[in-house]
Amino acid sequence: MIPPETTMTKAHPTRRLVQLALVSLIGLGAMVQAGSATAQGQRDAGAEQFVQTRAQRVISVLADKSQSVAQKKATFHQGIDELADVPRITNFVLGKYARTVTPDQRARFAAAFRVYAESVYQNRINDYHGETLKVTGSTVRKPGDVIVNTTISGGQLGQPVQVSWRVLGGGTSWKVVDVQFKGVWLAITQQQDFVSTIDNAGGNVEVLISQLQRDAQRPASR
Amino acid sequence: MQRLSVTLRTATTVLSLLAAGGFSATASSAHARAPLETPVPLVAAPDATADMAQTEYDPLEGFNRGSYAFSMGLDRAFFGPVAHGYMAVTPNSFRHRVSAVVYNLGEPSTFLNDVLQAKPKRAGRTTARFAINSTVGLLGLFDVAAGMGIRSHDADFGQTFGRYGVKPGPYLYVPVLGPLNFRDGVGRVFDFFTDPVGIAGGGWTTTFGASRLVVQTIDTRANADLAFRGLDQAIDPYATARSAYGQHREALVREATGAVQELPDFDDVSAGPEPAATPAKASPQAPTVPVEPASPEPAASASVPTVPQ
Repeated sequence: MIPPETTMTKAHPTRRLVQLALVSLIGLGAMVQAGSATAQGQRDAGAEQFVQTRAQRVISVLADKSQSVAQKKATFHQGIDELADVPRITNFVLGKYARTVTPDQRARFAAAFRVYAESVYQNRINDYHGETLKVTGSTVRKPGDVIVNTTISGGQLGQPVQVSWRVLGGGTSWKVVDVQFKGVWLAITQQQDFVSTIDNAGGNVEVLISQLQRDAQRPASR
Repeated sequence: MQRLSVTLRTATTVLSLLAAGGFSATASSAHARAPLETPVPLVAAPDATADMAQTEYDPLEGFNRGSYAFSMGLDRAFFGPVAHGYMAVTPNSFRHRVSAVVYNLGEPSTFLNDVLQAKPKRAGRTTARFAINSTVGLLGLFDVAAGMGIRSHDADFGQTFGRYGVKPGPYLYVPVLGPLNFRDGVGRVFDFFTDPVGIAGGGWTTTFGASRLVVQTIDTRANADLAFRGLDQAIDPYATARSAYGQHREALVREATGAVQELPDFDDVSAGPEPAATPAKASPQAPTVPVEPASPEPAASASVPTVPQ
């Protein structure tokens, strides 16, 4: 890794040293990376079409100035059911606790989570101003498990943002299970939030359920 | 120029050492963590432990939570109001121009890391962007290069270390600075001392350097306002910030390595293999006393940021 001391006295010691360090680093990097880079999967037109129509529709609903807030909330509620696989997401965000909750707790959690999640987005209704979504491509992770890449632009956005959607299904029947923005997956982050909360309550899921119920009641703070 | 090359030389040498050190550290720490329930962050994991694989390695959680609460208090009292004041008195379009100037001044540092990562195409794009935007783009006010199809990308020392296989290491919440991990913390120090614009401007003690630091701080906080609002609505904001930061950083590293992200399964968890441990064992730092459903949850309520409008 460290070049011999003699290089220091040559005509361009700095450049030589940098070159040597770089070459060794590249070699090292190549070794580390061996096998980690995998070929990207194929695109899936059905999944892309699904995201283009359904996700754009939800965004448009939020930005529609002709609708009252109550109307928007109702349409949003329905749009979420068409766009997202709510039962799967509900199960996923419980993480390891999805395996230990009682059927009664699961049902009460599902209801509380739904209200909480919708209130989070509804509090942001004023942040949407006619953004448009454009599918830029997709990657099939495995059959029926596709990442659809989109660019959302316009509205109040200074720069277009890249948003990825993980959709499960097949043919013309798809549902979103997770959304990624700036490398951050929403459902994964939500799961970490919830699992940490339950962990810190000594494994008591009731604490999370009551917090969700309380937070859903809370009006938009800003 | 001499100073720059000295810094560069030191940087690359230390970089090599760190890269090498990173491997041994990763190797040994992986062994040390093996008996625990927390695997190395964001590596391939079987379905049963998928949720744990997304968890940041956070052995300093006690300190970090205190540091997080302190920083959020400081944000509520100072940085938040400053950012909101700035957002109240300036139009969106103005703030976008400020962000563009701040971003443009970061391009030389991006270039440096593109080179260290042995990415000539990215280095070329960064050079072109900086040349075009600094001149035609009026000192970076306008991203003319993006309009020409030369899109921006980020690069820093944390990403460079990651590109050569250095793992993130323990999560660290540094007061005021915010979320980091060991790798990106060292990277941040490198970024600061090798930043060509910072060196050319005579460090942060000059008028230019100090002004840039202040503007950069306000701009960063204002741009992060949506994220702060998101944290406000999390049940455990600390864990949420930790997860989001880790994912964001690993995505940036994957951008440099070209690696494909391992993602958890969304299949019905109850149909999967049995869990390896009971919930309580997976969280050694969690209080074991069950909390009454009606009582407030201490960790979350203590650190919920409520930044005023």
